[in-house]
Amino acid sequence: MKFRLNRRSLLRGMVGSATVSMGIPLLDIFLNENGTAYADGSRVPVRFGTYFWGLGLTDTPAGGTRWVPEKIGSGYEVTPELKAIAGLKDKISVFSGFRAIPDTKPNLVHWSGHASILSGTAPSTTSRFEAASFDTRIADAIGTSTRFKSVNIDASVSRRPISYSTRSGSTFSSPDVTPLELYNRLFGEGYQDPNSDNWQPNPEIMLRQSVLSAVTDQRQALMKSIGKDDREKLDQYFSSVRDMENQLAVQLQRPEPREACILPRAPEELPKAASVDVVNANTKVMARLLAMGLACDQTRVFNFVHTGGTSETYIAGERKIYHQITHDEPTDTLLGYQPQSSKLAGLVMEGLGAFLEELDGVKEGDGTLLDNCLVMAFSDTGYAKIHSIDNIPILFAGGAGGRHKTGQHIHEEGSSVTRVSLTAMQLAGAPVGEFGTGSMRTSNPITEVIA
Amino acid sequence: MKLSRKTVPLCALVLTLLFAATEFNPISAESRDQLEKTDQLTIAVRRLTESQYRHTIRDVFSPEVEINARFEPEQREGGLLAIGSAMLSLTSSGFEQYFALASSISDQVLGDELRESVMPCIPVAAIDHDCVRQFVSRFGELLFRRPLSAAELDARVATAETGASQAQDFYAGLKLALTSLLVAPEFLFRVETAELSTASAHEYRLNAYSMATRLSFLFWDTTPDKILLDAAASGALYAESGLQSQIARLSESPQMAEGIEAFFVDMMQIDGFENMVKDPAIYPKFNQLVSDSAREQMLLTINDLLITNGGDYRDIFTSNKTFINRALAAVYRVPYTSQEEWAAYEFPEDSERAGLITQIGPMSLWAHPGTSSPTRRGIKIHEIFMCEPTPDPPADVDFSLVQDSTKGTTRGRLLDHMENAGCSSCHGRSDPAGLALEHFDGLGQFRTLENGVFIDVSATLYDGSKFTGAQGLGEFLHDDPRIPSCLVRNVFSYGVAQLPRYEDRDYLQEQTELFANNGYRISTLFEEIASTAEFYHVRIPEGIKANSEVIATTP
Repeated sequence: MKFRLNRRSLLRGMVGSATVSMGIPLLDIFLNENGTAYADGSRVPVRFGTYFWGLGLTDTPAGGTRWVPEKIGSGYEVTPELKAIAGLKDKISVFSGFRAIPDTKPNLVHWSGHASILSGTAPSTTSRFEAASFDTRIADAIGTSTRFKSVNIDASVSRRPISYSTRSGSTFSSPDVTPLELYNRLFGEGYQDPNSDNWQPNPEIMLRQSVLSAVTDQRQALMKSIGKDDREKLDQYFSSVRDMENQLAVQLQRPEPREACILPRAPEELPKAASVDVVNANTKVMARLLAMGLACDQTRVFNFVHTGGTSETYIAGERKIYHQITHDEPTDTLLGYQPQSSKLAGLVMEGLGAFLEELDGVKEGDGTLLDNCLVMAFSDTGYAKIHSIDNIPILFAGGAGGRHKTGQHIHEEGSSVTRVSLTAMQLAGAPVGEFGTGSMRTSNPITEVIA
Repeated sequence: MKLSRKTVPLCALVLTLLFAATEFNPISAESRDQLEKTDQLTIAVRRLTESQYRHTIRDVFSPEVEINARFEPEQREGGLLAIGSAMLSLTSSGFEQYFALASSISDQVLGDELRESVMPCIPVAAIDHDCVRQFVSRFGELLFRRPLSAAELDARVATAETGASQAQDFYAGLKLALTSLLVAPEFLFRVETAELSTASAHEYRLNAYSMATRLSFLFWDTTPDKILLDAAASGALYAESGLQSQIARLSESPQMAEGIEAFFVDMMQIDGFENMVKDPAIYPKFNQLVSDSAREQMLLTINDLLITNGGDYRDIFTSNKTFINRALAAVYRVPYTSQEEWAAYEFPEDSERAGLITQIGPMSLWAHPGTSSPTRRGIKIHEIFMCEPTPDPPADVDFSLVQDSTKGTTRGRLLDHMENAGCSSCHGRSDPAGLALEHFDGLGQFRTLENGVFIDVSATLYDGSKFTGAQGLGEFLHDDPRIPSCLVRNVFSYGVAQLPRYEDRDYLQEQTELFANNGYRISTLFEEIASTAEFYHVRIPEGIKANSEVIATTP
């Protein structure tokens, strides 16, 4: 069950998988030894996460923008809507000009953008992706030796839990939506302190394994004479059972010590509101718990939603929600942009700033946790007023254990967003050489950010 | 189903949305001999909903079993969670939840307090083969909604005995076996099967246990009881008289109230109350208690009008008889004098309330955190009650033409939208019904002014129908022919958990007429639909593997 990526397994994977081609840069990644190490010399694992916020960032009708830096390459300047990440900008690369290309399919508003980024294929219907989201491929590659293959979090305080992580394209993962839920997942029942001196395997776990074997025994009988869609559903069910079996197997092994791991205290309950101040506070608390979950090696992959595609966040006390404002607000003739929308975009980005600061606040090896992460942050649209899926803002934060050449601004006008996704997969260590379909099919990662 | 409204493109749109693409029809086999006798096709796999799960555990074991878990989010398709349930699987985090929940249920069921009432036998030793088998086969049948196969039974018996011998404790082992039943796909999903009919060697019919399951979940929102399973086992359900006697039994039981309520919760989208948020500065009276009470009020109203009194479905748009509690009374601004938790209440004429949709529940749910939303209200009324989903907005609307409205009211702002051709195609459809409800703010509080300006509540629908205010809208909806036909369509789709096919048009039309003739009574509608062959119709899913050469020979 457990598999580690070394040169040999990578080559095996190449032969065995359906992956068509693997570019030279990918091999470079796996061969490089830039990664940081713990004090005892063991390698610090690379973690990967997505961070999503709704409604993009602001462009101006005249062709200008409130977020794209002018300077290309390293040392880009801080633009008004990127102010919240100024303190970490040397650890962040900014991608601009990339677009989702639906070909003959319609632009499904507040859906096509991130569906394309995550699944590589433009969706045909809202609420579904045409393929798995790519974070699951990274989880399959780097997430099998931890208790959770991935952890999904939604800080948005929405009517319905929001997650864009899916294996089937139709069933999306059920995220933890409050700090307490997240705490219980990571540090509640089943948590084993990796730094404990008197670790003992829990015999109960073996009994729990026997419960699952009775279930998987019946798989064949159930899969007989069944339609395609139903088979896919049951396949996913059994894959979830396998993840549980893996989780139990991991718990039967003595965890490796993690010097950065300190059990956090259970969080206090936050007020329940969807206003941007509350969502940002939620984001900060959940980021802190997640950071410790990563440091304690409970998971190596996460998906974080700050606000959903049609974001319903708002400034406390104001009647209109952000989504409404992006469409209704006229462009200020003097300023040349929508001032209220731009203000909200800046506030929403404060969530990302707080999130990354939490990861950067945990010391790990000779750097910080963020240095060993690759966080891909992105949105559903570019310029939300017109539902644009051109120039969708995407950022890479964290050094990916030395693999990511940070602090750059990459601008490629009209290039497919899937190139950024492919780059993320390769930086995170997924053996993927090609991604996407139609005009978004690519085997061409962005080599400038690969060390 | 009548679709005689005037806009032709709209009709085309509605038709495509209403009817699933025609799937291929009951498959006939060249000869029955070509198939093994045991041959069964799995024709549907539907995830149990949260309420079905809860009711099942309660009915199979005990109402005392506590169920503390977060269920996987459900998804609405074609207006119904029931249809969405046929598209969902389980994610890893979802399975974790079900696994932990299953262990907790087993601990409770076989713990000291409940064990005695549940056990069919008393174990004589830590390993008691017969007693384990009795337990697993009795509860396995109730949970899987059919008897267990020998292999399914043996696997659980083995699990129980391994556990029991390790712990030297009969119940420790049995708990593992029960947990294993509770996390099995055959429990967590409703697996429907079809088999070759004995009457005709050329047709598949729904397996009798799958029939029993459809009936039970429709009428009671729970797993079939022993009597229903026995009627399936004996073949009684295949006979008209056997089927009718079960339908009569199901509909005469007080448990039918739960089935009808579950249907309305799904159809009317009575969900999301636990996650509803309002800006405290704008709606200081809002809190979680108000939200929960608003939901409860809707259920009490439906229950009283449509179940207890067996009333006319259409009266939900006009009847102002309801129930309130102290929390709601404050928002409605009426005195609450009762000593009870809830009290019957009838809104007076000048309250401008008109039926269920003007209660706090829908008015606050179909709104934003800081304002009302005529658009959202209109969309929901068309979608839920008239089966007219609003299409996704086109991506190429030129929003740069939209200027900030100087009008003081939400209505003014929206009417400005409607002057923009790009906006009016959708907003012209969605908004009018909502504009008539503008005397209720985003929490459902009555008002006549917005920002110091009187609110005009007259409305003209896209088909030219005109009405004024909530009461005008209520009367319009009460008499609109789309209302009963949409309900019939929804009951049918809910029961079979599929969108109706194009061929079902005439059938649905007949059922709608029958519904009218029966005084628009919900329980009678359930009985009528459950009595028709269409309710048990087998649709062979795409890509079925076994016996593909036989299935390919369509007549």
